[in-house]
Order: sequence, then structure tokens, then C-alpha cells
Amino acid sequence: MPRILVCYKWVLDEQDIKINRDNLSLDTSKAKYKIGEYDRNAIEEGVLLAEKLGGSVDVLTFGTAAVKQSLKDVLSRGPEKAYFIGDPLAEKADASVTAAVLAAAIRKIGPYDIILCAEGSTDEYNQQVAPRLAKMLDIPAVTFVNKLSLEGNQVQAARKLGDCTEVLHVEGAAVVSVMPEINKPRIPSLKQVLAAAKKPSEELKLTDLQLDEKALTPKVIKLSIRGFVMNRKNIIHKELSQTDNVAKLVAELAKEGVY
Amino acid sequence: MQGIWIYSEDSTIAKQLLTAGLNLKEAMNQPLGVITLDAGQAKSLIDSGADKVVVLKGENNWPESYAEAIGKFAVQEETGVLLVGGTLRGKDLAAKVAVSLDAALVTDAQSIKAANGSLETTRLMYGGLAVCTEQVSLPAVLTVPPSNFEEAKPVEGRKGETSTIDVSEFDQRISVNEVCPIVRQGVDITTAGKIVCVGRGISQKEDLKIAEELAQAMGAEIACTRGIAEDYHWLPEERYIGISGQKVKPEVYISIGVSGQVQHVAGIRDSKIIVAIDSNEKAPIFEAADYGIVGDLYEVVPMLTAALGKK
Ligand SMILES: Cc1cc2nc3c(=O)[nH]c(=O)nc-3n(C[C@H](O)[C@H](O)[C@H](O)COP(=O)(O)OP(=O)(O)OC[C@H]3O[C@@H](n4cnc5c(N)ncnc54)[C@H](O)[C@@H]3O)c2cc1C
Repeated sequence: MPRILVCYKWVLDEQDIKINRDNLSLDTSKAKYKIGEYDRNAIEEGVLLAEKLGGSVDVLTFGTAAVKQSLKDVLSRGPEKAYFIGDPLAEKADASVTAAVLAAAIRKIGPYDIILCAEGSTDEYNQQVAPRLAKMLDIPAVTFVNKLSLEGNQVQAARKLGDCTEVLHVEGAAVVSVMPEINKPRIPSLKQVLAAAKKPSEELKLTDLQLDEKALTPKVIKLSIRGFVMNRKNIIHKELSQTDNVAKLVAELAKEGVY
Repeated sequence: MQGIWIYSEDSTIAKQLLTAGLNLKEAMNQPLGVITLDAGQAKSLIDSGADKVVVLKGENNWPESYAEAIGKFAVQEETGVLLVGGTLRGKDLAAKVAVSLDAALVTDAQSIKAANGSLETTRLMYGGLAVCTEQVSLPAVLTVPPSNFEEAKPVEGRKGETSTIDVSEFDQRISVNEVCPIVRQGVDITTAGKIVCVGRGISQKEDLKIAEELAQAMGAEIACTRGIAEDYHWLPEERYIGISGQKVKPEVYISIGVSGQVQHVAGIRDSKIIVAIDSNEKAPIFEAADYGIVGDLYEVVPMLTAALGKK
């Protein structure tokens, strides 16, 4: 029976981030955290595999101290145990640091037969942690997967790559990154939410992961993040009479010369 | 650190990257080379500006399986910068090569410049909500989205050297089968002058007709949000607009039943006029719109079609 691990990221909900119009800085003061959108597909896929084949699903995350808040949410989605690394270093970590930390953690808590990641995280969307992890763990990477199955010791995965589709077969363990269309994540039931509180979680300390200074030094440093603003006319018709609204819009389109 | 290298499994993209590579070459005063799987392209890559072309020759047809060989080569050459075409295959390979090189990797770099022994790049974050400027230490691997740069202009008779590396070691644990090209049909919405975009406000596939009639009255192409293509499969994938889909730049874009989340809006920013029809007055699409109507699309769209059709 397979041992399955899913990696996820606790991200700021981009829908709550506002842009300060005066200096284009981001206002994240009202933003709540969430499990990355696509990470939910990865978690669901792990749970689906375990439902079908038996086996176990663990989850692993690296973040700041805030990741602790994610544990109940993630465990309510079906996994049995959560491992987390909560360290201020995560604030500045680039994908090379994140992958190094996750790989070191997996060496400690593994081995796993299959390690699932999302195609990319909702905030950074770097799309590189899964293939980096695979290379670091010296197992094959199967990226951008939209159909997945496990048979005995073999991973079977279909990929869609813009101009073609293909099916991969991998002998032995693999790191798999999934596309959002692979499944529809379930909304946790009340029962699952309650059960989550009793499930185990374990904190791993960065200092116990035996990573050297170099592996923990980001190679990409953020100099600035500026909101993208569009200046649009924002002429919105909300009269009760749609006849009037449509007439106004048609006149405007004519005036713009697009109709 | 030295040497600027380019790799893409797609030679058209490699030639686009040569444009970025030639700029870096000038700023960093380093030679510029291309790693390719396609020996037949060596001459035209040199014409387009490569000082060197290295052809990887092997029995394996799966481009990703050359990551190991490219990684080894990049280390041996003490590569300073490696630009990789940002297809999904390219992104997979770039991450593995970045590990071999113990290098930074920036995904979907939009602009690239050399600055004080490192690079400065920009890319989108939070689904397109923000632009992030980053300082990237060398060695650096960057993936660059296709069509981000124009192809470098070929100059007939440019000089450069070509060499071949035989690749014989491949990961035996992986086998690839059932490779099927996806046949694209219909128009390219990225060049359409008018677009009618449908979102999940449309409640069933049959109702796409409402949008098609509007499109016909306007002479527009139909496009959609991600969910319509990827979840419902009502329209082909190449019709969806957004950060992970197509970027469009029509004279006029009209959305119907599209909420306007940032990941979608990132693909319509270059539209000249944006028009939105949505029943939710608070839908973010209205902030991105020049004109809009708050209302039920099932009522408003047929009226608009009739009004436009009359003219
Ligand atoms: C990493 C990431 C990448 C993504 N990339 C993309 C991308 O490239 N492209 C993309 O499109 N999305 C993308 N998304 C998804 C995106 O966040 C939104 O979920 C999606 O765009 C919403 O699609 P929608 O507007 O069709 O649906 P919804 O958000 O469900 O909106 C439907 C709208 O229809 C309106 N409506 C309902 N009924 C009616 C009616 N009768 N009349 C009028 N209006 C009605 C509603 O008020 C609502 O505003 C991405 C998401 C993530 C996390």
C-alpha cells in the first residue's frame, strides 16, 4: 500500500489584497491565509489514491509561524498526519530554499512512494518546487499531470503540454505535480472538520534538517512588489430599465468607434 | 561566472530568446551560445546571433530527458546565465538544471537586465495582481514566456562554431508513450480584433448560443474563462484568457457572466475597450471595465445583440 505525501503552501488570499493607488504598494492587512488553490487539487488527488488503494497520506508544509493555522484546514481535507516547518526564514525563501527544506524534511520523515505537489503556488506560481524536489531526492519528476494512477510499483500519469498529450510510466517513487483540472477538491464536511482536531501534526525544526548556510540562502531577492493598476473609464449602467442601459452602451460603443 | 546560454526544445522560441541573450551579451561582455536538440537549426541559430551552437544528440525523443545532460554541460561551462523557453517542458527542465548548477531560477521573467554582477528581472505575482522586481544572483536560470521577445533578426553569413554532444545516459525509470499532438482548430484569439468572452454566469452549454449570436452581430470571436474550458470543456482550451491562458489585445472585449478575478483580468489588460455584463454589481470585472451593465445576461445580451444587429 502506497505511502503518499502531499506538499502544500499556506498563502495569502490574493482576492483580499488591495493596491494602494498612491504608491502602488500592496495592502495585505485585510488578507487572510488559505491553502493554495492548486494545492487543494494535490491534496484531493492524494486522498483519492489512498481511498482507492489503501495506504496513507501525509502532508508537509514550509512557512512562517503562521503555517500552524493551516493544520486543521489541511487535515480536514483527508490526510492523516501533517508535518510542518514554521520558520521566519520562509519569508525570504526563494524556490531553491523551499525545495531544499522540503527535500531535507522528506529525507527525515520518508520514504514515500509518491510525492504530490501542485503545478504552482497561488502566490508565487514558480512552478519549480516539484521538479527541483525530484532532482534533489534523485527520483523522477512527472510534472503538469492531469490524470494519475498507481499500479503496484508503477506510477502512470497523463500530461497535457500545450501542443501534445503524453502518458508517462515511472518505476518506483516519483514526484508528481498536478494541474487543477485533475479533480474537484471536496469541501470538508463538518465531521471531517471535527475529526481534524484529533489528527496528529508534528513540527520539524529547521535546525534539525542538517542544511548548510548555502542551501538556506535565497538566490533570488525581491527588490519591490508593485500593484498593477489599469486606468479604465468605469462607466457602469445600473438603471432598472435594461432598454435604457443597452441603448447607452450601444451609443458609447459607437462613440468609441468600436462598433 | 561567465557564458550566456539559451535552450528551448522549440527553435522558434530559442530565436526569441536570442534577442534577450544578445542584450545580455552586450551588457555582460560574455559569449552567447545555444543548446539545441535540433541539428538542422544550427546554422540559422548562428545567423540569428549565437556565437556557438551545441547540438545534443541522443536516441531519446522526450525533451525533458536531456535535463541531466544540459545540467552537466552548464556546470562544466561555468554558465553565468541560462535562458530557457518557458513552455511547460522548458519549465520542468529548467528547474532540474537549476539544481545541477545550484542556481537561482526565475519563472516567466518578463524583462531581464544585467546589474552589478547579478541580474534584475520582473515577473508577475499573485495571479497578475502585482509585478515583482527581483535581484538574481549568478549563476541564474530564467524561463521566459514564449512570444515575450521578438525573434532575433538573422544576418546571413554570421560566423559561429557548432559542436555536438552525444547523450547516451537516460533515466531508465521513465518511459513515455501515447504521445498525441493536439490539433488546434479555428481562430487564434490573441490576434482577434473583437472578443466576446463568456464566464460561468452562463448556466448551460446550450446557452453559449446567446454569446455566439452577440459575437456574430459584432463580428467578434468567442473566448472564455478558465473554468468554461478546463472544468466544463464547453470551449477548446486555446479559447481561454488569463494568466495561465491566452493574452489578448482586441479593440473591444465584452465579457458576459465573468466575475473578473485577477488571474483572468491579467489576460485582457491590453484590450482597448473593456465592456462587462454581470448581474453582480460588486463583481471585480466592473473595476477593470470601461463600460458595463449590471444585469441578467439572459435579458441584457439578446437586447444588445438585437440593437447591434440593427445598425
Ligand atoms: C493560479 C491560478 C491561475 C488561474 N488562471 C486563470 C486564467 O488564466 N484564466 C481564467 O479565466 N481564470 C484563471 N483562474 C481562475 C480565476 O481565479 C477565476 O476563478 C475564474 O476566472 C472565474 O471564472 P468565471 O468568471 O467564469 O466564474 P465565476 O467567478 O464563477 O463568475 C461568474 C460570474 O457570473 C455572474 N453571473 C451569474 N449568473 C449570471 C447571470 N444570469 N447574468 C449575468 N451574470 C451572471 C456572477 O455574478 C459572477 O460574477 C486561475 C486561478 C488560479 C488560482
